[in-house]
Amino acid sequence: MNNRKPVSSIAEFHRRDLLRAGGPGLLGLTLPKLLEAKEKSTSGSAPKARAKSVIFLFQWGGPSHVDTFDMKLDAPDAYRSKYNPISTSVPGMHVCEHLPETAKVMNKIAQIRTVHHTMNNHNSAGYTALTGVEPPIDDQRLRESLDLFPAYGSVVDAVSPSTNGMPTFVSFPWTISDGSTTPGQRASFLGRIHDPLFIPNDPNAPDFRLSQLSLPSDVSMKRLGDRRRLQQLINQQARDLDNSAAAQGINAYYQRALSMLNSQRVREAFDLTKEPEPMREAYGRTTYGQSCLLSRRLVESGVKFVTAYFSRSIGGRSKTDGGWDTHGFDDTRMYEILPAWHFPLTDHTLPVLLLDLEERGLLDETLVLWMGEFGRTPKINANISRDHWPKCYTVLLAGGGVKGGAVYGRSDRYGAVPDRDPVTTGDLAATVYHLLGIDPATEVHDNLNRPLPIANGRPVFDIMI
Amino acid sequence: MTKLPLPALIILASWLAFSIGTANSSRASDTGQSIEPRDTSFRNDVMAVLSKAGCNLGTCHGNAHGKGGLKLSLRGQNPAQDFETLSRQGGSRRANVVTPEASLLLRKPLMDVPHEGGRRFKADSAEYRILQSWIAAVMPADSENAPKLVALKVEPQHDTIYAPDTTATIRATAEFSNGSKRDVTSLAVYESSATFVAVTNLGIATGDRAGLTTITVRYLDQQVPVRLEFVPERPDFVAAAPEPANFVDELVFRQLARLKINPSDICDDTAFLRRASLDLTGLLPTADQAQKFVASTDTDKRTKLIDQLLESPEFVDMQTLRWADLLLVEEKTLDRKGVEVFHDWIHESFARHKPLNQLAKEILEARGSTYKTPPANFYRALRVPEARGEATAQVFLGIRLQCAKCHNHPFDRWTQDDYYGWANFFGRVDYKIIENKRRDKNDKNEFVGEQIVLLKDEGDIKNPTTGATAGLRYLGNLTNDASDSASSTDDKDKPKLDRLQRIAQWMSSPDNDRFAAAQANRIWYQIMGQGIVDPIDDFRSTNPAVNPELLDALTKEFVEHNFSVRHLMRVIMNSKVYQLSSTTNSTNADDELLFSHAIPRRLTAEQTLDAIAQTLDAPIRFGGHDPGTKAVQLRGVRNGGHRYATPEIGDRFLALFGKPGRLLTCECERTNGTTLAQTFEMVSGELVDQLLRGSNGRIAKAEQSGEPFEKTITDLYWSALSRQPSVEELTAAENHIKSSDNARRGLEDVAWALLNSNEFLFRR
Repeated sequence: MNNRKPVSSIAEFHRRDLLRAGGPGLLGLTLPKLLEAKEKSTSGSAPKARAKSVIFLFQWGGPSHVDTFDMKLDAPDAYRSKYNPISTSVPGMHVCEHLPETAKVMNKIAQIRTVHHTMNNHNSAGYTALTGVEPPIDDQRLRESLDLFPAYGSVVDAVSPSTNGMPTFVSFPWTISDGSTTPGQRASFLGRIHDPLFIPNDPNAPDFRLSQLSLPSDVSMKRLGDRRRLQQLINQQARDLDNSAAAQGINAYYQRALSMLNSQRVREAFDLTKEPEPMREAYGRTTYGQSCLLSRRLVESGVKFVTAYFSRSIGGRSKTDGGWDTHGFDDTRMYEILPAWHFPLTDHTLPVLLLDLEERGLLDETLVLWMGEFGRTPKINANISRDHWPKCYTVLLAGGGVKGGAVYGRSDRYGAVPDRDPVTTGDLAATVYHLLGIDPATEVHDNLNRPLPIANGRPVFDIMI
Repeated sequence: MTKLPLPALIILASWLAFSIGTANSSRASDTGQSIEPRDTSFRNDVMAVLSKAGCNLGTCHGNAHGKGGLKLSLRGQNPAQDFETLSRQGGSRRANVVTPEASLLLRKPLMDVPHEGGRRFKADSAEYRILQSWIAAVMPADSENAPKLVALKVEPQHDTIYAPDTTATIRATAEFSNGSKRDVTSLAVYESSATFVAVTNLGIATGDRAGLTTITVRYLDQQVPVRLEFVPERPDFVAAAPEPANFVDELVFRQLARLKINPSDICDDTAFLRRASLDLTGLLPTADQAQKFVASTDTDKRTKLIDQLLESPEFVDMQTLRWADLLLVEEKTLDRKGVEVFHDWIHESFARHKPLNQLAKEILEARGSTYKTPPANFYRALRVPEARGEATAQVFLGIRLQCAKCHNHPFDRWTQDDYYGWANFFGRVDYKIIENKRRDKNDKNEFVGEQIVLLKDEGDIKNPTTGATAGLRYLGNLTNDASDSASSTDDKDKPKLDRLQRIAQWMSSPDNDRFAAAQANRIWYQIMGQGIVDPIDDFRSTNPAVNPELLDALTKEFVEHNFSVRHLMRVIMNSKVYQLSSTTNSTNADDELLFSHAIPRRLTAEQTLDAIAQTLDAPIRFGGHDPGTKAVQLRGVRNGGHRYATPEIGDRFLALFGKPGRLLTCECERTNGTTLAQTFEMVSGELVDQLLRGSNGRIAKAEQSGEPFEKTITDLYWSALSRQPSVEELTAAENHIKSSDNARRGLEDVAWALLNSNEFLFRR
């Protein structure tokens, strides 16, 4: 150590330093050796990226696993699905008879049949599925607040952002909620800067556009340019703001916003009218169908993480709208509703998306994740329907380094609990991050500056190529 | 079980101390080899090594699930459990008493075998020898009467290091229950709050540039801070500061001079006027106010403006907004009526100059109908004792107690006993729900209807870790007896105080330094944008004030003036420190901590929206509120439209710009960072566009009046920026308007540019 090392004559008393170091030792690990060791271990274990992008198709409401992909053909009547099984492109594998197109692409899909957690309410379970982290309480009372964990996409934006000029994380077309807004859809304690670029518009609407990328009707790009010049002239008057980090930040955002408005690539990525009509029809003229198409378009143009929500509400009582929450309330019947609404919608989107991605050579580098917040009770309830079941359910993964046709984990004879190879939502998160080339042990810091690993679990290597 | 070989260790320690003072660190670590402790204490040596090597950090084996099959208590808070883990579990592979060197406990940290945590120490280190000798001695437990750590002392506690010198040498001494002392410099852990300072294993701190840091020195369960200031050389430095106006200036300028920093010049009238107006009322000065203030030649005009703003109704609005954020004034739990009565009660409190400790007292002892006793809504929003305890500590004492819920606080003195003993004060709060017309029966957050907050006669919460009933503990140095029996007085006429009354009385006592300091710091933060302790709700010895003398003086002033918010703000704002420019000089450009210049900050959500509306003279209509209501006056979070409908445009704008949801009692819930979405809202968003094109606003009226463009432009500049346009700006704006298809559109463009300028969006 050199005792005489000169100190720079410019004093630097940076709050940034303090913030970066955080509480002593938390983020800092300021024993130099510790820091060294930590950096080594992190960079040393960063996995190779198999997937460049993720499309997360979130099935709000909770699809029944035992009526779709984990059918228990030998279960007693009180449990067994009232649908028939059909065979698939994977020998010996069956899916529900109402998913014939999906059956044909099961050889591209890996299933994990033993995903489980302990959250029984939509919001707490939804948060768990959207983040991989279980909340402290299983309660509908759980609300979006800064002490909860960020969405997958926000974590990706914080630890491994896109560098290609496209946003890292885009979500649409709704903010999901059940009473209150479901936590886990945004950046939470990572800061709003990591929130998704959220599109609150229906991609199936004729005038669908990304409102952020649209100028008011009588403002042309030229007029915006004029405005910008006047603005910059004013900014030149206040030179003291040039040194302000916050002002520099705003300047950078203006530049980015204006370049996005000017960028044909960005605008076109969100412009579904650029898709040929047959392609739009193939995905189905539904909000969810066009959301899937938009997902593909965005991934194609370089967005890293896309979350498309199946529905705004948990639904379950309607044959024309809503999510998978089919309890059979109000004299509705799950076995009538699913084949009328959820199954056709699923069967005309998921396989179309996978085949489209494959045709474009994108499937290998795009991970598609299909999951709900829980499955449904193995035993059929008094309404001839099924209730919430987080103890064991099925999640689908495809593309992006995943082994098609693989089945990981086995549920018991009722589909009630994992029989072999249970997988937590933390494991699932670790799997997604691992496939993206992000070390699941990477740490982020919450509002109290506590170090938290982005995933509390181990990747499921068995489903990877 | 033999006793500690104290003499041997004292020799070792003094040797080390000597070597630190004279030699470089590599020599110092060499010297450690020469003397080996023959008997090793588990509590005092092995536990220290586990911390020193970082084994028990939250990121490693201190994690709630452990790592790699070994789980230690977080930062060594539970030595008994760690003793069990290390000596009784894991078998001979973990600790091999026959061949200690073969123990995983030694091979892992050496990286002889793969270790995810990397190499923690070398075979010739003191750490290694301590673990090895303990294993070799068949892992003995400490005897009952083995000395226990009583106190940790450090030298120096505070040091200023002048370049070219760059190092400080810290010595740590442990004091034990048997009266013995021991130099534990080599066993203590050192953590610097700032990354430009590195501390060696032996307590030598080196700064690679100038700046401030706090080194936390930790040994076993004790930790103490060392504040270090590294001063640059600056041979030509001449201290130059404005003439101090009051003690604030004296204390800030004194620290700056010591660190060879000169404060900026005093800001101009425009900057001062905008600052004072925004800070106290949340609003921009009007064009008229700005012109008059700038033109005035009254030498006392700044002081007079401060007085006038402090007595304005808008000041009350702004204070109410700040406290409504902290006190969780939010529709879902309180319902609309609750929001209304609680908000109005806070408003009334500030209008009537209620002392802040009185405000705290009335909130903490409140009970009864949430419609008729407004402050009872504080407890209505906090449904469980732990949440009440955490919120109260955070809001009123500036203490983040949350960590101590699951384990003793890693950076503070608070233990789980403190946590549950504090929460237990609130354990008897209960509710009588008179009606609940909530819409969603599943949504347990939602309450629509009157409730009675009441205090049960009995009941205590339990510490879940020990299973024992929690006692009652105040957080702080006041020695008041917290127990229920202490509240019965000899004076029979005096009624016995219940738990809420006692905590209210304790909190609001002028002797409660923690409350006074936390609130003085909050008031400073509200005006200066940054706490003297920062974050403002994180008071702890290891996060000390950047200028402790200043905080002490402000606290004293606050208490002496009966907890008057206005008084303390008046003192601060009349200081030169408050009035410093944001233009920096060669000595203070890099200071972001010591208040040597103003640091520009983005306007808050409400300030931005109100400023836009005022500049364009186009008020936003918030449904459910009277026309003309400003954003700063809004009572709740969702202010217009039905709760289940899409939020109205004004609410959407506010949420986008960081208005908090009022679910946390943390200042951090209000965010003032910039996002891309905000920028799009300003550039092409619906709200700004609507207001620009509105048919009743300033632009429309100017166009209809046919006044010269120069007048309209000048008017817009005074409204938006509180100043005259420069010649260049005026010419550019006029030319633009004349070259536009129509003048109206040209004017809109000029207004757009003003609203999107940094000068408008920042308080500087």
